[in-house]
Amino acid sequence: MIESILFAVVTMLVLASVMGFILGWANKAFHVEIDPKQEAIQDVLPGANCGGCGYIGCNDYAEAVAANDCAVNLCPVGGPSCTQAIADIMGVEVTEAWPQRPVIHCHAHYEDRKGRHEYYGEQSCQAANMVAGVQGCTYGCLGFGDCYNACEYDAITIVRGLATIDYDNCVGCGACAPVCPRNIISIVPFKSEQIFVVGCSNQDFGKEVKDVCTLGCTGCSGCARVSEVIELQDNLPRINYEAYDPSMDFTASSDKCPRESLLWVGKPGAADLVATANLDTPEVAEVDFQTTVDHTDWRG
Amino acid sequence: MEHLVTLFLLAVSTAIINNYVLHYFVGICPFLGVSKRVDMAFGMGCAVTFVVSIAVFLSWVITSFILMPFNLGILCYLVYIFVIASSVQLVEMYVRKFFPPLYKSFGVFLPLITTNCAILFACLEVLKGLSADPTYGLITAMVLALSAGVGFTIAIILMAGLREEIDMSDVPEAFKGPGIALIVAGILALAFMGFTGVDRGLSTLLQ
Repeated sequence: MIESILFAVVTMLVLASVMGFILGWANKAFHVEIDPKQEAIQDVLPGANCGGCGYIGCNDYAEAVAANDCAVNLCPVGGPSCTQAIADIMGVEVTEAWPQRPVIHCHAHYEDRKGRHEYYGEQSCQAANMVAGVQGCTYGCLGFGDCYNACEYDAITIVRGLATIDYDNCVGCGACAPVCPRNIISIVPFKSEQIFVVGCSNQDFGKEVKDVCTLGCTGCSGCARVSEVIELQDNLPRINYEAYDPSMDFTASSDKCPRESLLWVGKPGAADLVATANLDTPEVAEVDFQTTVDHTDWRG
Repeated sequence: MEHLVTLFLLAVSTAIINNYVLHYFVGICPFLGVSKRVDMAFGMGCAVTFVVSIAVFLSWVITSFILMPFNLGILCYLVYIFVIASSVQLVEMYVRKFFPPLYKSFGVFLPLITTNCAILFACLEVLKGLSADPTYGLITAMVLALSAGVGFTIAIILMAGLREEIDMSDVPEAFKGPGIALIVAGILALAFMGFTGVDRGLSTLLQ
């Protein structure tokens, strides 16, 4: 009895040492040189593997940076601190890196939009955009949540038909911008916690805009006349974020606007939190994935 | 000739009739986890075939030269897991050094296979064969291993194709995700039951 137990133990020990020896030898013999820079970069990257940099994952990006194939400031999640850390490892200088965040150039909720009709087609912006007459405005947010579905960070909610970004959750990966069929999401450098943006994408003239929306920009160019970084293009004010400076005063521009189309977006400041503390949270409409088939008796 | 026929029948019965995934329900974790896209499923199937061949080779050697002569059958689970884990490690290092593109395309699959029970099951099948019949040769064991891998590949690719279709269809809310995948896997297993008896028919045909 004792003998067989002993024998089993000895066999296992011998097997273990043989395997251990082989593996140890293989570890040396098959050692692959990895650039120490690459490992160091992997450690400072956030490891979110979001693909925001354009590479498959953080490891791929680290490999590309270590091989000097790309810039050090491509990680949108890590932001300036991460860029600085990578730059230190690679021994290059960084000048300025602002967090890139999406801005939705529409601020009309359902109640502000005119000419809305009941739509039972596929509940996606991509599909609704191909159908005329879902709502009057052919430029603004459709509210079916393609960006909501694209967001991996729960940073987008659809509030009464308007995609709304939660800048506390947003990491700036940029996944939302390309999925918008109306191209109303742009990625903008946030030079301060809150920035001044144009909240409309409608390129039509005054009357046509007023027919479809109570908030839309009529292209009066009032804001552009009093600010050097705003200029009118396609009947819409465009803010030049290259020249944008957080210390600029935009009250003149926003006072000039008769349609409240210019607004501040970004993380809520302390004053905003106090001001909204007692207000009810807006009703958040979850996207429900019903198709036409759910509303018909006929099934083909 | 008769030996070849036996080997062929063994291959058919392991790969299709007694498919490891769809008949014995081993190796379900990669079968459900990596069957979302056909190309990934194919990669996983290849990796499993590769590893199962190596593991069965090693376990055949160890079983017939160490375990059987010294009557240490009780150690089989321990030894097999040990052998599988270290051979996967070894293979991973080897592939990483000498075939970097292959290593990249295998990705995380190779280490994941360490814990794939289909491989342990193949080793145990070899042990069963060896204890029933001491003349159970290395060639038979390797045919078993290869066809087990091929059977796994067939099953996971079929599943991946079905799941790609399911992604585009109108699945009821309650069944979305793993629910419908498990139901489909069950129906697939039922369909594979239709192969029962094919080996008997083949053997009468070939003899």
